Amino acid sequence: MSSFLDRMRRTARALRSRHRREQEMDDELRLHLDLETEANARRGMPAEEARRAALLRFGGLEQSKEACRESWPGRLLTDLGQDVRYGLHGLRRSPGFTAAVAVTLGLGIGANTAVFSLVNAVLLKPLPYARGEQLVILRQPDARSAAADLGFSVQEVRDYREMSRRFDSVVEYHSMDFTLLGGGDARRVRTGVVSSNFFDVLEVKPLLGRAFNAADEAPGADAVLVLSNDYWRTLGGDPGIVGRRFEMNDRVHTVVGVLPPIPQYPDENDVYMPSTACPFRNRPDVLASRRARMLRAFARVAPGVTLAQAQAEVDGISQRLRAAYPDALPRDSEARVALSPLKEDLVRQARPTFLVLLATVALVLLIACANVANLTLARLVERSRELAIRAALGAGRVRLLRQLLTESTIVALAGGALGLLLAYATRDLLTAFAARLTPRAGEIEIDGRVLLFTLATSVVTGVLAGTLPGLPGREKIAATLLGDGGRTTGDRRRQRMRAGLVAWQLALSFVLLIGAALMLRSFENLRRVDAGFRGDQVLTARLNLNFSAYSNAEHRIDVERVNSFYRALDDQLRGLPGVVAIGAAWTFPLNSSFQNDGTFTIEGRAASTGGPAPKATFVGVSPAYFEALGVPVLRGRAFDERDKVGGPGAVLVNERLARRHWPDADPIGRRITTDGGRTWRTIAGVVGDVRQESLDREPQDAVYLPFREFPGYGAILFVRTLGAPGQIAKQIRAAARTADPQTAVTGLRTLGDIRSEALSSPRLTSMLLGLFATVALVITAAGLGGLIAYSVSRRTHEIGIRMALGADRSRITAMVLREGMTSVGIGLGIGMAGTLALSRLVSGLLFRVGPNDPICFAASAIVLVLAAVAGCVVPARRATTVSPMTALRAEV
Amino acid sequence: MARANVDLLQGTLDVLILRTLAGGPMHGWGIAQRIQQVSEDVLRVNQGSLYPALHRLEDEGWIAAEWGASENNRKAKYYRLTRRGQRQLEAETENWHRLAAAVARILQTA
Repeated sequence: MSSFLDRMRRTARALRSRHRREQEMDDELRLHLDLETEANARRGMPAEEARRAALLRFGGLEQSKEACRESWPGRLLTDLGQDVRYGLHGLRRSPGFTAAVAVTLGLGIGANTAVFSLVNAVLLKPLPYARGEQLVILRQPDARSAAADLGFSVQEVRDYREMSRRFDSVVEYHSMDFTLLGGGDARRVRTGVVSSNFFDVLEVKPLLGRAFNAADEAPGADAVLVLSNDYWRTLGGDPGIVGRRFEMNDRVHTVVGVLPPIPQYPDENDVYMPSTACPFRNRPDVLASRRARMLRAFARVAPGVTLAQAQAEVDGISQRLRAAYPDALPRDSEARVALSPLKEDLVRQARPTFLVLLATVALVLLIACANVANLTLARLVERSRELAIRAALGAGRVRLLRQLLTESTIVALAGGALGLLLAYATRDLLTAFAARLTPRAGEIEIDGRVLLFTLATSVVTGVLAGTLPGLPGREKIAATLLGDGGRTTGDRRRQRMRAGLVAWQLALSFVLLIGAALMLRSFENLRRVDAGFRGDQVLTARLNLNFSAYSNAEHRIDVERVNSFYRALDDQLRGLPGVVAIGAAWTFPLNSSFQNDGTFTIEGRAASTGGPAPKATFVGVSPAYFEALGVPVLRGRAFDERDKVGGPGAVLVNERLARRHWPDADPIGRRITTDGGRTWRTIAGVVGDVRQESLDREPQDAVYLPFREFPGYGAILFVRTLGAPGQIAKQIRAAARTADPQTAVTGLRTLGDIRSEALSSPRLTSMLLGLFATVALVITAAGLGGLIAYSVSRRTHEIGIRMALGADRSRITAMVLREGMTSVGIGLGIGMAGTLALSRLVSGLLFRVGPNDPICFAASAIVLVLAAVAGCVVPARRATTVSPMTALRAEV
Repeated sequence: MARANVDLLQGTLDVLILRTLAGGPMHGWGIAQRIQQVSEDVLRVNQGSLYPALHRLEDEGWIAAEWGASENNRKAKYYRLTRRGQRQLEAETENWHRLAAAVARILQTA
């Protein structure tokens, strides 16, 4: 340690006294030469001769000095300073080169920084909850359907909490829409209903006020709310909001706290309330039933317990519960509750897309790097004289190489700064993009780690671009000094290396082009999907009734009152000019968060089949729903006035379901039951398939129920208009308020908007990939152009001779292009092989297009060839304008 | 050069310098002369590499330098062996003897 300090001290002193040291070395060597000269003179040499002999005997004076300096303390630092000074000087001398390199690298590094900031925030950073790696989700998977989670009943969550030893705690969660009254319009608030220790388990400390405590969850406790950070801001961000009262569900709720700005999971809620405050969860029948699975369950694994140990315990509890309550789960579903880490769940959707993006930008940077290496190679030839002189002055090869590295690193750092600016400028766009894939998007920022990444990328890029070209050989340097700066074998080797670099660039560009083409084609396929509705002139709105005003004494929905609200609303809207149809339903199409799958039994087939019961998505819709959405009624009828409580008990099914269960028969008039035969409902019509879940998933079998028999507190309104649908928005709000002023109206948008929103994430992904591929292509074409230009300039003499011998312009052009196309051919070959090996990595992101789609391959190859030809055109034209006479006269 | 002289083995110069300085402080030229003299002109120090070696040994802390007056009263840089240099010299000398003995054995038997 002390010797280290000692060394540091000596280094500092040495840096300060560098000038004196130089002086002393000169003195020392001068004395040596003087003494040697005198000794020679004593041996009888004439003065002149004695001096010359002394110098000869000594050898290279400057080299010797340079070698002395090598061993001085602080040598590296002083050299670096010198290298940087030289480097800056050299770069200033060729601003065009410098700018080209900095911009090329800036694009590459910027793209990498931007994408890394996504990856860092979403995939790498720990969750913003303390010890987030211990947080797990409990899932009750449904073996029969794709649904990942059947949910838990109130009693089950309690059982898991009480029976487990390997969890610190188990908390429940569900989310509902309620209506918040108090000041201005009624507001629909998305409400997270949670165990009182929910925030303690996540270890989230409130920004203002407090989180819930056990007293809040006690029966008869005052109703309290915790606001999310976002919702607090939309309310004005009042720092004194704690204590403010709102009316909700016929009770006064007091705000006790505000959350910090953290990603909320599983939903972005506006407010939170303790579990005992939710009127639905606490309905006696819900509390009593083990089949009322409305809750989600989270847990924190106890310290020192592994996920596998916790899972083993949970397996045991599941088995015991299954044995004790055989009816709690559907008979054919598996009883295994699965644990999955919260972090994985948060990023499941984002991971594949982000990784593909990361790979893409890395390739772009490699291409940029190759281009810079190529530019550096070209410049090295111009600079060989300078290098030779420095070598003669005693700079060793290592020193020269370091000089070149310093230069390329300086430029790369400039590129890195540019890249940071780029990343900073695009971060809002990226956040919006990521928000569609993960709740963690809000965490995206350019933090220390991103800066470090950019710095490291810049330095590595600089070193790579500076090392690839290598240093001219010793003979080459000597040859340059002797005035023979022309062709040597090393030169040809370097030209081959440049061609190789360009071929690799072409190969990588080809890979990127294919990736972008696959993505574009996949997006195009998605865009063309017929979702089953005609939505351009349909305005949708989410209506939420203040449920306390529409519930009966048992906290159940009062069907008559809800229906009268919709009748009043209908009367208001029907009279408006341009309104064609007004429908209502439980959900809107392409709504990935709507899940209402269930099983049913077909009359007369129940016992015979023995297999799993048929399943379908159940959606309640009003009579005019199909007309409003433009969904065809293929057979039978839609719902009408008859279909109400006490009516004929009609249902509609979609075409898919009809085909599956009655491939050769008419389903109209057949009966199905969902409650084991207590009530039977008759199929009254078959309607077209609608993609209720998402664009990229096939429509599910669907059973439509009459909304009037099964209304909801919340519903989606669909209004088909003749004119522009946006104009009706205000009237919808007014009509809803007239029908009931406590109604919250949100999410006004057209069905077209819903559709394009569903497309926005794949659209942006394909746009980004397309953009990166284009950048790569431009860089590559420029690189190829530079290579050919250099080659043409070297072959001026040869071209002159050819032209003098009668070759016409098209021949010369063809000759130049052929050289370019050789690289393209090699690049296509390597790229093709690479893509075939890599393309299945993206197959998960593709929709209706195979990873080895021949059309995409062909189109990418054509684009690559066209870009390459464009890159070669300028140098080719220059070749054809060579005047034979000038060329022949040119001393080569 | 009438007599064949031997190129110094890598690293040998260091030990020769240390040994030479064991006799007392000396300046660069003096060291070169002395080595040549003592080796009876067999070893001729490449003067171009003498000074880099001196500066390196100084950096290692095996020798120290101070400025003094030369024989005919000119400013000269005198090097002397440090205690650490003394230890280094002993180690190197032993190494050298071992190496020389080994080589000699091979030459005799082979």
